Amino acid sequence: MDQKQGTKANPIAFDHESPEHAENWPDEFREMREKCPVAWTDRHGGYWVATSYDAVVEMARDPETFSSAKSFDPETASGSGGITIPFTPIPRGLPVESDPPEWNLFRDFINRRFAPKAVEGFRQDARNFATALLNRVIETGEMDLVNDFTGPVPAMVTMKLMGLPLSEWREFADPLHTMVFTPKEAPEYAQVVAGVDWIFQRCAEEFMRYKGLPEEPNLLSYFAHQPVGGRLLELNDVLSLANNIIIGGVDTTTALTTHALEYLHHHSEAKARLMAEPSLVPFAREEFLRVFSPIHCLARNVTRSVEVAGQDVDEGDRVMLVWAAANRDPAVFESPDEVNFDRASNRHLAFGSGIHRCIGSSFARMMFEEMIAQMFARIPDWTIDYEGARRYRSIGTINGWETMPIRFPPGPKVPCDFEI
Amino acid sequence: MEVAVIDERCVGQGMCVLYAPQAFVLSDEDGRSQARFRQVPPELEDAVRRAAQACPEQAIIVTE
Ligand code: HEM
Ligand code: SF4
Repeated sequence: MDQKQGTKANPIAFDHESPEHAENWPDEFREMREKCPVAWTDRHGGYWVATSYDAVVEMARDPETFSSAKSFDPETASGSGGITIPFTPIPRGLPVESDPPEWNLFRDFINRRFAPKAVEGFRQDARNFATALLNRVIETGEMDLVNDFTGPVPAMVTMKLMGLPLSEWREFADPLHTMVFTPKEAPEYAQVVAGVDWIFQRCAEEFMRYKGLPEEPNLLSYFAHQPVGGRLLELNDVLSLANNIIIGGVDTTTALTTHALEYLHHHSEAKARLMAEPSLVPFAREEFLRVFSPIHCLARNVTRSVEVAGQDVDEGDRVMLVWAAANRDPAVFESPDEVNFDRASNRHLAFGSGIHRCIGSSFARMMFEEMIAQMFARIPDWTIDYEGARRYRSIGTINGWETMPIRFPPGPKVPCDFEI
Repeated sequence: MEVAVIDERCVGQGMCVLYAPQAFVLSDEDGRSQARFRQVPPELEDAVRRAAQACPEQAIIVTE
């Protein structure tokens, strides 16, 4: 690339949603970062792609210039802004698609429910769900890691957090996963959308039901009873909060845990080391977050013309902040493509940076620990059927696996306080 | 060696407690971090340095 490449006049060929990108993203990002860390592509109406750690952080920490706000008109199903490219024609997520001062209102309203202490209150639930889910399959010696385990555990914890009935876990878990990878042209797409709509329909119904009951310790009941900025929440804000919490938390944690177990399957030394030294698991987890970056990238909307990394970014442009590329920037991480549990320090951006930094990271970390511990204790030896395993064809939304059939020596069910 | 967390920079839920659990504590209200002390005990200096490096927000200030 000469100096003029990566500008609007001379765009790069890049599409974060393309199957080619899913195939060789580390190489593609390495080249972009080296030659043009903020570069313009014409796809999806045109957007800047930021791939160096410094450029990503600079934008993430300046929400005034790089806005997350989204507008959407349900009548026409059109709108602008938000954190996805292309624009997603659904109402905004909250707090993620708002800017200060509105953002402060919603974030302050829910922060306490996501703080480390609150999350510890869900650890036993996560353990019970993981135990019960393995009880379903452990005597058969095979399961689909994604659909039988790493998908349902975060789905069930999220249902409990929201105050949704756990008996509906299958109806809840499946569409949240299939939605991420089903192409819009596929015949089953309409059914997947209907499944997702049903989830938010259930949130609305339960929210209305909780209004008529004394407050209970779950989020929908909290939303029904506690005012934000002096007034009770309207249903559309409740659905925006539910959307962000449910979509933000479930398939991301699934992707992280599936990637980790896949990595450990073909790195037996690393696996043996983690099993022998459980205190290393949190450091391994942060390293898996860094190298796999379940959410590869998210967008911002430029509110005033600025220069970033030598490029003239104009008001009204859209930019893509690529956490996954920043996480492999050799200026910050030595041997960035290597998984190394012993990194002296690891300031990865898998949970984002700046004000929108993931509110659910303690939940994600706790759920990961519980799933890994359960696997290590009960299914220490698994083999993956790679014929049947499939990665997402596009990793523009989430970098994960559609399905991963595994086999293992059958084991016994164990007693569990929770019955599925 | 002294340590402090800049409250306006900290976005909570952190790497600091992973590297130096004896030096930082996260708030039950908003998940933000606070140093448990200003003067760092000598045996924790290394851990505190690593925590400061691991903070993506550069919210931990160490004065040697
Ligand atoms: C490994 C799992 C996860 C990853 C990789 C992840 C990643 C992220 C990222 C990158 C952001 C920043 C968004 C932005 O800058 O625009 C974010 C925000 C957010 N995440 Fe997560 N997340 C995970 C798990 C969770 C969980 C479990 C929950 C809920 C229980 C959750 C709820 C949220 C919410 C509500 C926000 C918006 C925060 C705000 O705008 O202030 N996430 N997440
Ligand atoms: S790592 Fe940094 S941002 Fe995160 S909690 Fe600790 S001080 Fe705050």
